[in-house]
Amino acid sequence: MRSIRGRLLVGLLLLVAVMSLITGTITYRRVLGETSNLFDYQLRQMALSLGDQASFMPGYTLPPEAANSDFVIQIWDIFGTRIWSPGLPLLDKAILGYSDLTVQNERWRVYALLTRTSVIQVAQPWSVRERLAREAALRVILPLLILLPLMAVAAAWIVTRAVRPLKGLTTQIEHRDVRSLTPLVAADLPTEVSPLVEELNRLLERLAAAFESQRAFVADAAHELRSPLTALSLHLQLLERARDAPDRELATSRLREAIDRATHLVGQLLTLARNEPEAPHADRVPCALDTIARSAAADVQPLAQERRIQIQLEAPVPAMVTGDADALRILVRNLIDNAVRYSPQGSVVQIGVRDPAPGQIVLEVADQGPGIPGADRARAFARFYRAPDAAEGGSGLGLAIVKAIAQRHGAQVTLADALPHGLRVLVSFPAP
Amino acid sequence: MRVLLVEDDRMIAEAVRTALGQDGHVTDWMADGAAALAALSNSRFDIVLLDLGLPRKDGLTVLKQLRERGDATPVIIITARDDVRSRVAGLDTGADDYLVKPFDLDELAARMRAAQRRSAGRGDPVIEHGEIRMNCATREVDKAGVAVPLSAKEFAVLEALLLRPGMVLSRAQLEDRLYGFGESIESNAVEVYVHSLRRKLGSDAIRTRRGAGYFVPR
Repeated sequence: MRSIRGRLLVGLLLLVAVMSLITGTITYRRVLGETSNLFDYQLRQMALSLGDQASFMPGYTLPPEAANSDFVIQIWDIFGTRIWSPGLPLLDKAILGYSDLTVQNERWRVYALLTRTSVIQVAQPWSVRERLAREAALRVILPLLILLPLMAVAAAWIVTRAVRPLKGLTTQIEHRDVRSLTPLVAADLPTEVSPLVEELNRLLERLAAAFESQRAFVADAAHELRSPLTALSLHLQLLERARDAPDRELATSRLREAIDRATHLVGQLLTLARNEPEAPHADRVPCALDTIARSAAADVQPLAQERRIQIQLEAPVPAMVTGDADALRILVRNLIDNAVRYSPQGSVVQIGVRDPAPGQIVLEVADQGPGIPGADRARAFARFYRAPDAAEGGSGLGLAIVKAIAQRHGAQVTLADALPHGLRVLVSFPAP
Repeated sequence: MRVLLVEDDRMIAEAVRTALGQDGHVTDWMADGAAALAALSNSRFDIVLLDLGLPRKDGLTVLKQLRERGDATPVIIITARDDVRSRVAGLDTGADDYLVKPFDLDELAARMRAAQRRSAGRGDPVIEHGEIRMNCATREVDKAGVAVPLSAKEFAVLEALLLRPGMVLSRAQLEDRLYGFGESIESNAVEVYVHSLRRKLGSDAIRTRRGAGYFVPR
C-alpha cells in the first residue's frame, strides 16, 4: 500500500486490535489466576468443613455451597467404601492435596483431605474458572471492539487532516503552468514535509536560472546573428544590382566574406553551447597540453603569417592534464587567435606551458596588443563582449568559450598585463 | 544627398555605402558614436543613418546630444533591436524613422527620401519648378514632358538647388553634397556639373550670383 493515509489507517486499526487482544489475554490470565486461588481456597474449606462432621449418616444434607452443582464431592470411609457420591463416578482413588485430573475429556481441579474416619474429595471443573476469566476478558475487550468503528472514523478524520497540506501542495503543483518556476508556497506545511518543499524550491530555482541562461543565450545569439545576416542580405542585394563584371566580382567576394563570417559565428556559438556547464561531458583522458599547444599554434600560423606575427612556444616540460583534448585545443587556439588578431603587425605572441608546482600546469599566452583595461576584465568573459577596438570579424565569443572549457576542466582563467604592454592570459590547471 | 553612416559593422557599412553611391549619394562612414558626433559638429549632412549598438558612445546618446545642441538633421535609426520599447525610445529621442536589420536597400532609399521630404516640409516626392519636374523617388527629371537624363552628381546638384528655390548655395556647400570625407575634389567639378545642367535644362535654369554661389530663381 503506497498511500500514507491508507498505511496510517490500517496501522492504527491493527494496533488497536492487537492491543485489545493483548489486554483481553492478560485480563483472562489474571482473572483465571485470581479465581483459581479463590476457588482452591474454597475447595479446601469445603473439604475441611465436611471433615468436621463426625460421620455421614444417611439423611445427611450437604452444606448449601456444596449443593452448588459446580462441585462434586466424594467421600470414602477408611475401608475404601464410597459412602457419598454425586452419582457420577469421578475417581476411584484420591490424591491427597490439590491436583488436576481429566475425566471424560473434562479437566477437574481436585482437593482431597484425609480425616480420621474418611477421605473427602472435592472437585470442580476447570471450565467454571475459565468461563469466569473469559467473561472478565470479554468485559474488557467488548467496549474496545464496539469503539473500533468509531476509532476508525476518528483516525480517518485525523489522518485526512494531517495529510491535507500535502493535498494542498499537490493542487498547487497540479495547477502550475509548465513555464512557471516560481517557488512553491511552503507556509503552514508540517515539519516533515517542509524540507522536501524547500529542496524542491531550491531545484526550481536552479532550473529557473538554467532556463533563464538558456533563454538569454538564444536571445543573444539571435541578436548577434542579425549583423552577419544583414551583411549577407545587403551584399546579395548588391550582387543582384551589379551591372557589370567588376561590380559582380566585388559583390561576390564580399558575399563570400559575409558567409564566412556568419559560418564562423555559428561555429563559435556551437562550440560555446557544447562547452556550457549543462552540456554532456566527453570522456576525460590524460592529454599532453604542450602537444596540444603546438598543434593549436600551427592552426593559427596562416593568420599569423598574414599579419607577420611570430608565435613563440615555450614548453620545457611534458605537461599532462586530464580532460577533453579537442576542447583543450579549441581553448588554446582561441587564445592564440585572439592574441594574433589584437597584436600589432610584426610583433611576437608568446605561449608558455609550465608546471610551477608538481602536477599543476599553467598555460600562458601573451601578446603585444592594447590589452584589456582592469575595469573591463570581468566583462571580457561575457558572451559577445568586444573590446572597443575589437579586431575585424571577431564573434565576441572567444574568451567566453575559453572560460567555459576551462571551467569544465576545473581550471582558472586570469587576465594580466603583459610587459611592456599587451594582454597575458593564464590558464591554471589544478593538480589532479 | 550627403549621408553620415554610423555603423560599427564594416561589412554592413560597405554594402550601404556602395548602394548609396549607386544612387548618387555621398556617404561618410563612422564606426563609433564619438566619431559620429565629431563629424556632425564639423560638417552638415542631409541625413544620418544611425546604428544603436555602437562602441564608445551608444547610438541613442549620440542622437540625444545631437538634438540637444539643436541639430535637426534627419536621423534614421538602423538597428537589430526590434522590440517596441527600443523603437519608441529611438523615435522619442528624436529619430525621424526606425529601420530594423536585416533591411532592404530599396526600402532604405525610400525612407531616406521620405525623411528628406519631411525635413524640407514637402509631402510629394516630385518637385515641380517651372517646366522642370524632378521625381526624387525614381530619380527622373523631365523638362516640358521630355525626359532629361542626368548623372548621379548632376542630379545631386540640381536636387540641392531645387529643394530651396531662391536660396544661394556656395560652391563649398555643393561640394559637400558631392564628396565625402577624404574624397579628392576636382577643383572645378561644381562648375562642370552646373555647366552640363544648363546645357541640358536651358541656360536660365541655374543662375550664378557672383562671389556667392548658385541658385534657381523662384
